[in-house]
Amino acid sequence: MSSATKQVGSGIGGWVGHMVDAAAAIPGHYGNLLAKRRGRTIALTLLGLLALTYPLIYNQFLAGLSRNVFPLPVPDETTMTFMLIFGIMAIGLNIVVGFAGLLDLGYVAFYALGAYTAAFFASPHFGSISIVLFSNVVSGFPGIHLPFWMILPMAVLVAATFGALLGAPTLRLRGDYLAIVTLGFGEIVPVFFKNLAAITFTFTIGGVTLISLQDVNLTGGPLGINPIDPFVILGVGFGATSGVAAVYFAMALTIIGIIVARNLERSRMGRAWGAIREDETAAEMMGVNTVRTKLLAFALGASFAGVAGAFQASYLGATTSDFFQFSTSILVLIMVILGGIGNIWGVLAGAIVLVYIDKTLLIWLGQRIGSVAPDFPNPSQFNFLIFGILLVVMMRFRPEGFIPSRQRAAELSVHGLEEAETAMGVDVETDNVSVAPPGQAELDREAELPSDLDDL
Amino acid sequence: MTTSTMDVGLTGAIPDDEILVRTRGVTKRFGGLVAVNNVDFDIPRRSIVSLIGPNGAGKTTFFNMITGAYVPTTGQIEFDGQQIVYMKGKKLRSRKPHEVTAMGIGRTFQNIRLFGTMSALDNVRTGIHVHLKSHWWDAIVRTPSMLNEEQSSIDEGMRLLELVGLERRPETWARNLPYGDQRRLEIARALGTRPKLLLLDEPTAGMNASETRQMTDFIRKLRAELGLTVLLIEHDMRVVMGISDRITVLDHGEVIAEGNPAEVRANPRVIEAYLGRGAAEA
Repeated sequence: MSSATKQVGSGIGGWVGHMVDAAAAIPGHYGNLLAKRRGRTIALTLLGLLALTYPLIYNQFLAGLSRNVFPLPVPDETTMTFMLIFGIMAIGLNIVVGFAGLLDLGYVAFYALGAYTAAFFASPHFGSISIVLFSNVVSGFPGIHLPFWMILPMAVLVAATFGALLGAPTLRLRGDYLAIVTLGFGEIVPVFFKNLAAITFTFTIGGVTLISLQDVNLTGGPLGINPIDPFVILGVGFGATSGVAAVYFAMALTIIGIIVARNLERSRMGRAWGAIREDETAAEMMGVNTVRTKLLAFALGASFAGVAGAFQASYLGATTSDFFQFSTSILVLIMVILGGIGNIWGVLAGAIVLVYIDKTLLIWLGQRIGSVAPDFPNPSQFNFLIFGILLVVMMRFRPEGFIPSRQRAAELSVHGLEEAETAMGVDVETDNVSVAPPGQAELDREAELPSDLDDL
Repeated sequence: MTTSTMDVGLTGAIPDDEILVRTRGVTKRFGGLVAVNNVDFDIPRRSIVSLIGPNGAGKTTFFNMITGAYVPTTGQIEFDGQQIVYMKGKKLRSRKPHEVTAMGIGRTFQNIRLFGTMSALDNVRTGIHVHLKSHWWDAIVRTPSMLNEEQSSIDEGMRLLELVGLERRPETWARNLPYGDQRRLEIARALGTRPKLLLLDEPTAGMNASETRQMTDFIRKLRAELGLTVLLIEHDMRVVMGISDRITVLDHGEVIAEGNPAEVRANPRVIEAYLGRGAAEA
């Protein structure tokens, strides 16, 4: 940013010109990095290439090896897709929790809203009507069938709207109280979807019946809705049976999510969120419209879950309210905390690691153990126990997460900060390492506690 | 260095067009406690006015009403010809703090409240935030206008850091700056809001003699170079007497004295409020 001293031209032409300039500058930046921190740059490049090609490597080579020669704990296509679906959610939750510092325990609600948006508008569920638009479903087929590029914006819109609706009553709440209200919302939405299978409702004013519903099945109840159309581009579907194609589709969504979150972080909105996280009262006094800024964090964070939910529903071809338990909210929150709250790459890593443990490692372990000792309990039953232990261990030894944000690292430990900056390639400036005398941290924490208007 | 103080009139005796802040009958009650009682107060443009008084006199409460953090129980507050407090139905309402900031009031805090893990420059740019126009969708697609605005906010932030003497370490986190620098950064952040009125809540608290002198010189410089009006809460009497054009003394929420430094110093009610009845009689 600081290098962009020249003014950027206005209008579409200016934007295109800027993007071309930015793209042209990438090889130069990369060369610089390569010269400055050779080992790290090469390692990250290889890691990136591996991430991009892994689905193909798995598909061509590892899957066969694992099936025919020796069972390996390598993630398969479904696991990879879910890694990315949860990655998108973790990036979204990180906007709310990491950037703006608002604890949201009801995040699964937006995941559910996204999934049901896809279910309503791309399935034969509403069989009495037939709307088929730009879809490869045969025209005249019962139900509403919209293409994914209409479903995704709708899911974003629905989730963001409800995100703002959830945000509105919580604006005056801070800390624990905020968490409790969001928790309530996260419980309400799945129950809502579970129970709207037979709505009978009449609304009459002055003898005139305005609304009359008889046994309307809106959400399919506990059975849910299926089949949901997969996303399709040029005849290629991205359902669960498409294997590698779905992984790459999810990867594209994730990359868009990373870019959006990163651009938001590096803007006046990102600074306003940081200010609210640090000191909400001071932020308000410095001209930050805290109401609007917090609502924006809720809405934008929720829209990521909307996208993830819509893709998940179309990927699996079905959705039921069972997918959207409170434990899913907690799981995403654990991903954010373990990965490194506030850091986009960290939370993505958190999602990948936890989904890997949950869907590949524990199942593989179960099979290995089962082949030796069939009576031994299957470890995948204890996934949350294992996540809990992992969380406790991490909090003890590396509380700032796998790839911490600089803020979190400094808050939690001097040591962690140095490591984080080394890991992230930021020069360790001694300026930014608070060398506090023993006990100072506790004093600081105490000083932070009463942050009400009274001590202005 | 001593600059002659401006000769400014007393509350009620200043021509309207020279008044930046005017309060009439401002009262704030917290339950049964009257924190501020019926305060009339005028601040002339380009003046440095101090608000003093013993602990608990209601100075900070008064500050908080001007900035919109508290709604007065009764009274009027007018800033630059606009009402900060207004009636809505039968209830007295106040503009929100961020709206007041946008009108042109910047402030610092008694106990420093910087955004600790944000860089010095980003702290100042958060002050500028209220004057930036780009939306979140501009941020996502990096529109040229957003990028130019970001760049100009960096330039403005650096200029302000230079003004307070912090330009050499713009990337340092606020919490890692020395105490005196943090005080100055808070002023730079307040200046980022492009204020007409700067409210300083004990700007020299915790400073030694030479830092204090630097700070008072700096406040004078702000008025001279930026044409700011400054309202100051301060306990250090040397600072107050040296810098103020006019001093208003609060005690138990009421104005007990008003005038230039010499008048206030000689006022028996002020001596009584600070030192007790015996001292005033002696």
